[in-house]
Amino acid sequence: MTPAVPTAAPDAASLLAAVRRQRWWALRVLVLPIHILVFALIAFFLVRLIPGDPARAIAGPDATPETYEAVRAQLGLDGSIWTQLGHYVSGLVRFDPGTSITNGRPVFDELMARLPGTVELAVVSFVILVLASLLLSLVVVLAPRSLDARIVSGYSQAAGAVPDFVVGVIGILLFYATLQVVPAPNGRTRPGLQEPDPITHFPLLDSVLAGRFAVTSSILSHYLLPIVVLVVSLAPLLLKQLLGALGPAAEDRATLFRIATGTPRRKVVVSIYRRALPPTIAVFGTIFGTLLGGTVIIEQLFGLGGLGTYAVTAVAGLDFTALQGTLVLVAAISMIVFLLSDVTTMLLDPRRRPGVRGSGS
Amino acid sequence: MTSTLPPPAAPTDTPAPPTAARRPRPRLGVGTWIAAALLGLVLLVAVIGPLIAPHDPTGVVGLPSRPPSGEHWGGTDSTGMDVFSRTLAGTRIDVAIAVFSTLLATALGIVVGLAVGMNESRRGPVGMAARGLSRLLDLLQAIPVVIIGLVVVSFFGTSTVTMILAIAVILMPIQARLTRTEVLRVRGDAYLDAARQAGQHELRVIVKHVLPNSVRPALLNVSVILGISIVLTAALGFLGVGLPPPTPEWGSMIAHGAGDAAVGKWWSAGFPAAALCITVASASVLTHRFTVNRVG
Repeated sequence: MTPAVPTAAPDAASLLAAVRRQRWWALRVLVLPIHILVFALIAFFLVRLIPGDPARAIAGPDATPETYEAVRAQLGLDGSIWTQLGHYVSGLVRFDPGTSITNGRPVFDELMARLPGTVELAVVSFVILVLASLLLSLVVVLAPRSLDARIVSGYSQAAGAVPDFVVGVIGILLFYATLQVVPAPNGRTRPGLQEPDPITHFPLLDSVLAGRFAVTSSILSHYLLPIVVLVVSLAPLLLKQLLGALGPAAEDRATLFRIATGTPRRKVVVSIYRRALPPTIAVFGTIFGTLLGGTVIIEQLFGLGGLGTYAVTAVAGLDFTALQGTLVLVAAISMIVFLLSDVTTMLLDPRRRPGVRGSGS
Repeated sequence: MTSTLPPPAAPTDTPAPPTAARRPRPRLGVGTWIAAALLGLVLLVAVIGPLIAPHDPTGVVGLPSRPPSGEHWGGTDSTGMDVFSRTLAGTRIDVAIAVFSTLLATALGIVVGLAVGMNESRRGPVGMAARGLSRLLDLLQAIPVVIIGLVVVSFFGTSTVTMILAIAVILMPIQARLTRTEVLRVRGDAYLDAARQAGQHELRVIVKHVLPNSVRPALLNVSVILGISIVLTAALGFLGVGLPPPTPEWGSMIAHGAGDAAVGKWWSAGFPAAALCITVASASVLTHRFTVNRVG
């Protein structure tokens, strides 16, 4: 954890010093809402940059002036641009991105109903992705010249070459259409199976909490292929970064010293990872963002109906409030994860904190 | 500020053996040549694809969902359009969007990177704006490009030109950040002061001295951007935004063929998927060889 704050007399000076010592992360947390707001403002002006009149496009060419005005109001496009901005920002601050144009429901409720499913899939995939990448990197660290290591390195070079949706289609063709080992890619549970009442809104967690293990196993079997697809298509990205950091760490003098002094092999490996991981954790945040984007696509492919499906439907229905809301939400999640990974890095490696000028290694 | 910089994205994957002299290594050969040949073929098809397509790429030319045959080399999709012809014709669209958006993104990114890097430590409103922009570039990379793309492309309408613009804007921050980092490294160098004291205009200093010394990482990254761009175009097509349906675009073809793939008919998604992967993989192999060769 952070360097322990000496518990001297709690006078103002030492308190100030204590606060100052925590500034490196506190400041980042404090500016996060501002960052999200800045991004929301970009989204706001982006909508207003659209050539043409979205309200006209949505209301249709032969709408009555009343309908047109109603659509404009719903879009937040009535009044001057500054009153619009005021409405938008005050709405966002109250977590209210407005109501959907296509069905009139509050965007916030719609998003919150879909977010848990997406987050669940993304988080489970992310955990497996990280574990798989670490295990695979271990193969290379333990025996860099072996055939296995060459295969793993080759696989990591495939980063980005085979997009997730292609892996998804191949997966469906292979494991559903041909081998019939996974259920049909159209939903989260077997058709006809009643999902339990939402408790946490996380489908998998809910089914466990409600004790409906038939549902749990059905969800798991439906999640299996999407998770495998996400892990297989994104692991090279992480693996490439890991191997890039582990290579120099393994050849570092610190490693040679440990080997020369007869340190057990296991401890040498732990030491290599201990030195290589901190710089990679910052990458984890970016990878999670990519994973979230991938989840959006994979959900669409497997009919899982989360945020991705909502966004795509919003695009199709020109539902600008819904799109703005989705964009801000995904941006907020990505930035929070990014911040967490950044703070974790700085926690593990104090040299990376702002204002610290440390020597190389 | 420095804390948010991820580890350098410069492609320094496999350190070249330090003892190896600068003679051409024999094992550089086969893979590189295959990749170069494949990429050349893709570019050739991008130019002449629609001309050599055996069938009309946007019309119904046969029975739906027929497997590959002598008449339809790639079979037909579920609406009866010829998959092989559409894949050939799609090459032009996907490659054109990728190439032009990459060029535009790189040009924009270098300009933005220079502007931000040179002004970041200035006092006053210009410096503040530069610092704000710099933070914004950092922020943007936290957000998945697919999500930004989904919104931007759906906002900016759907023609090849707007797709190029939208994707260039989305990918610009990556190049801008790379350039900015280099500018910050170069900015304090003595030859800049020398040029200034020789009476050169600041703009001339930037163009003649800062630009050539800070542009390398962004240029080396061009093929990476090309890969991201082509995958992004296809991903957006896959999600159903972007170019409208009868247009032969790989991503929308794959999305369209996914339903067929679920019943075991592999060809209507298979051909565009293969074309996409070959393009990206050959570009990535070439980059790897090229950069390792240059860096090592």
